[in-house]
Amino acid sequence: MLLGPLGVALAVFIAALMAVLLVERAGEPAAHGAPSPTERVPFAGVLPPQVHAWSRYHARYYVMALVFLVFDMEMVYMYPWAVVFLREGGIAMVEMAMFIAILLLGVLYAWRERSLEWS
Amino acid sequence: MVLRRLLTRLAAGAPVPVLPVAGLGMRDALRELRIRPELRPVDVPAAASVLVAAGSLPEEFGDPLALLHDGMPHPRAVVWWNPGNSAGPLLRRFADPTVVDGSADELVSAVVRVRRELYSGHRPSSEPVLAETGRAPWEGVGPYGQGGSGMTGGVPYGRPLAEVAPDRDGLRLDVVPLTVGPFFPQFPPGLRLEATFSGDVVVDCLPLVNPFVDIAHHALPVRPGLDVFFRALFEPVPIAELELARARDHLVWLADALSAHGLPALGVRALRLTHELEGTAAVPGVRRLSRAIEWSQVLRWSTRGVGRFDAAGRTSLGGCGPVARAAGLPDDARMEDATYRALGFELIVQDGADAAARWRQRLAEVVQSLALAKRAGAQRSEVTGQVESPRGLLTAGSAPASRLLPLLPGLLEGLEWGDAVATIVSLDIDLEEAGLAERLASAQAGAT
Repeated sequence: MLLGPLGVALAVFIAALMAVLLVERAGEPAAHGAPSPTERVPFAGVLPPQVHAWSRYHARYYVMALVFLVFDMEMVYMYPWAVVFLREGGIAMVEMAMFIAILLLGVLYAWRERSLEWS
Repeated sequence: MVLRRLLTRLAAGAPVPVLPVAGLGMRDALRELRIRPELRPVDVPAAASVLVAAGSLPEEFGDPLALLHDGMPHPRAVVWWNPGNSAGPLLRRFADPTVVDGSADELVSAVVRVRRELYSGHRPSSEPVLAETGRAPWEGVGPYGQGGSGMTGGVPYGRPLAEVAPDRDGLRLDVVPLTVGPFFPQFPPGLRLEATFSGDVVVDCLPLVNPFVDIAHHALPVRPGLDVFFRALFEPVPIAELELARARDHLVWLADALSAHGLPALGVRALRLTHELEGTAAVPGVRRLSRAIEWSQVLRWSTRGVGRFDAAGRTSLGGCGPVARAAGLPDDARMEDATYRALGFELIVQDGADAAARWRQRLAEVVQSLALAKRAGAQRSEVTGQVESPRGLLTAGSAPASRLLPLLPGLLEGLEWGDAVATIVSLDIDLEEAGLAERLASAQAGAT
């Protein structure tokens, strides 16, 4: 092939970019330029906000996010383990069972502490 | 140029995204636009191309309406539905509105024509009504706007930073004051809620005064669906007419509630059913819709256990109709009418007192009202001076909404915003009905 796979991918990317720019330019007369400040204000039934949008609030999902991260990393760890398992056999299975059991204890603890409830 | 013409033709041929704003008595007529294939009603100005206002709006809504218009992206236009020259003074605030005096069909044709003219360049985009203020400078203590109180100091772009207060988890976090409404799409028309939020939790809230009470409009237009209930205050009316209007009103609430919960297709089904109430297919149609609603896991999650009245709260529900009956209270003015009793009318009640119970209650009452209308024949109601409206006890001077509004702070405080909206939707607060009842009492007091 003349371009090779990388060249084809690059050509498709450039063609898509050109198409997007072309469509955007064709729609310019209707768009009237950048949106006005009134158009940019978040809509809450019309009345404008009284305070600035920078505010600190309690991200209640953070415990679930941490639990997700822990198990996500565990899944990543399983890919190399699968390769070792083919070579080592039963001993690798026992090691993984121990690893998962320790993680499971953590989940049970989080469950008992009611950390998995939404609010 | 070819691409521009093609895009213009494609855009002009698509359903028109309209932002409907209903004035007094026009709510039901505008809602019917949802079943028109030429239009696509949207909830927020950022998604709209044509603002469709109908009838007369309270004058205090002048600036909110202008902000609604100015928040729409270009190209945009205003079409005002003005049957019987009812538009009122707010119409004059717009530079070049298209005014339609005729039927709904003429309104739809006008909206489609206006949008086509906008995209073909034959009509200029509507200019802002309010002057654009632009960004205010960042005000702080230092020479570059830095410093001062708050998270980073200063007053960024003219808006102060939020105050800090303890939240329900014992943390000290920012609380954001915000007035929601009067055009918040999931709220009943006209409802404004002054609320303080900590994240998405409602810390406190206060509903503002009903704008439809002091509206400066001499000939008071009554929504067609409400008319029979107000007539029943003064004279016996056919029970069949009352019950069909009740069934229709509940289905219309259902259409709005389903849209508010993100199920607009089911909402359109409910709306179509309102046109078939006198046929034999009505009851099976309502039952099929009920089953579809019961099967919806999304609705179950968003209504079960939400907005529940506790034992003390239930004592305040007298005269609140389906809301009271959904909480297990035997509260219905129809029990005092001998004709209803002779027809075998029996109270339906639930025991949940939450939003899900209120949904079940209204669905059950639609079927009950259709059966009553069939049995009633030409019989008329006997009791005058009070009537059980679709929302509860209605008298001259008092309507269910005026009893439900004071309960909102106790019910909403501590709820997440999604649950708060689901609660308000489930209560079916009709400020227009309350405004009419209070103005009726004023008129009677003036006459004596």
